[in-house]
Formats: sequence, C-alpha cells, structure tokens
Amino acid sequence: MPAQPFRNLSKPARGREAEILPLSQLGTALTVTGVLDTEGEVQIHGTVQGRINAERLVLGECGYVEGDIVARDVRIGGRLNGRVFALNVTLDDTADVSGRIFHNTVTVARGARFEGRMPWRPPSYFEALDQLPETRP
Amino acid sequence: MTMFNRNDKAADTAASPAMPPSVKPDTPVTPAPETKRPQAYAQPIPTGTAPQAPSVSVISKALKITGQLESTEDIQIEGEVDGDVRAVTVSVGQNAKIKGTVRGDEVKLSGTVDGKIEAKKVVLTRTARMSGDVVHQDITIESGAFIDGHCRPEFGKTAPQAKAGAPKANGADAAA
Repeated sequence: MPAQPFRNLSKPARGREAEILPLSQLGTALTVTGVLDTEGEVQIHGTVQGRINAERLVLGECGYVEGDIVARDVRIGGRLNGRVFALNVTLDDTADVSGRIFHNTVTVARGARFEGRMPWRPPSYFEALDQLPETRP
Repeated sequence: MTMFNRNDKAADTAASPAMPPSVKPDTPVTPAPETKRPQAYAQPIPTGTAPQAPSVSVISKALKITGQLESTEDIQIEGEVDGDVRAVTVSVGQNAKIKGTVRGDEVKLSGTVDGKIEAKKVVLTRTARMSGDVVHQDITIESGAFIDGHCRPEFGKTAPQAKAGAPKANGADAAA
C-alpha cells in the first residue's frame, strides 16, 4: 500500500504511455557490453556489462547486470552488481544484488539477497536525473 | 489487525466446543499472514510482466545500444546499435541502424548497416541499405536493395557439403 501515493505522484508525467512502451528483450544467450539507452521497457535475461538507461527495467531470473541502472521502475529477479537509480524498485525473491539502490519506494521479497546500501531519495532527485551520474558517490 | 482479531475469535469460538482451546490461538493464526504478506507486496508494484526467460532477443525501435552484442541464439534488431553484433541469426528490421560488423550464420537485412556483414547466408531485402563489404557464401539481393561496397564470397570456412551446394544455389543470384 505505501507504493500507491508515490506512483500516482510520479506517473502522470509519462504514466499511461509507459504501459504501452516498446519492449526490448535480451535473451538468455545474449551478452551485451556497452550502453543500453531506451525510452521503453527492457527485459534482461542475459548478461549486460555496462550502463542501462530505461523507463522500465526487468532483470529476469537468469539475468546478470554489471553496471549502473537508471530507470523509473526496476524489478530485479537476477544478479546485479552495481548501482540502481529508480523511483520504484522491487527485489524479487530470486534477486542477488550487491551495490547501492537509490530509490523512492523499495520492495524486497523474502529470500532476496542484498548487500550494500539503499539510500532513499525524494522524487525530485530522480526527475533531475536525466543522465547517469558519472561519479561514483 | 482487525481481520486477524476476527479470525482469532472465529477460530476460537468455532473450535472451542469440539476441541481443547488451549493450543489453538497461537499456532494456526500467525504463520498464515507472514507467508502471504511478502508475496502480496512483491507482485503489484512491479510492471506486471511475467518474465519468461526467452532465448531470442529483441532490440526494440526505442532501444539504442552502444557496444557489443554477442549471442548463441537469434537476435532481432529494430533499434540502433553502435557496435558489433554476433549471433546465429540476425534480422535487422526496416528502421534499424547498425554501425559495425554483423556476423552470423544468417543475416537478414531490411534496415541500414554501416560497416560489414559476414555470414553464411545473407539476405538483403528491398529496403536494405548496406554501406560496406559483404562476405558471404550464399547471398540474396532483392531489387531495391542498396549496396555500397564489395560482395565477396568466401567458401573456405564451411564443410564440403556447403561447397557442393552453394555454386548451384548461388548461380542465379551471384550473376545479378
């Protein structure tokens, strides 16, 4: 229930659009080294080494990301080594994350593994975050 | 909380006449809400898509990748790739743009490639725009396709079975 007011606050900007945003799927066999940049949704089931900019990101159970993620909604079910900058973050029970999660709302399922810090940030922080911060805080 | 209290009482009143009430209140009531809660929270917040790990990759038109893509399965590209692509079957959509080398067993090009294609089987459709060399064994070029570069057949890498079959299959296409 705590997620509702935040979602309503943050959604109207691009809210309804987000539901029909173009979907990209990176399969289990795919390895990407570099930068992914999209206005839509990305589902990662393979391996990504590098940065990801997306509206919505789903890291599947088999997925592995090493690098930073900037998105509005992030759902993690796989392995992540790096930082997340997202308004809404969900760690599924299969998640294995080490790094930092900058969030406004976060959900961690029982069984999820997380090592690091989860700093809270106000929604304005994410709106100002057009591009990835280059410096590692 | 009110729900649990109600259940507590209901369980008690229902159970008390038949069974000894002393053991009841603690054991059956507490474990149920604990197991349900995390699931109830975890599911509505995320995006609603159920990720079923696919082996085929789709790069949508809104996605831009700067870097390398390597896959042991198929890739379908509708977006923009600035870098090399290697997969089994690569299909490049009409509005897709690739800057770099595309390698694979089979490459179907309907979009733009600025770089090089190396594949056993290459198909250039009528909307294809290819700037650079094509190294192939078997090539199909539809009318309307644009090529700025060399088409070079290379038979060295494959099995003899391909060598025997290729010239006949190629004959018509290669002549064009």
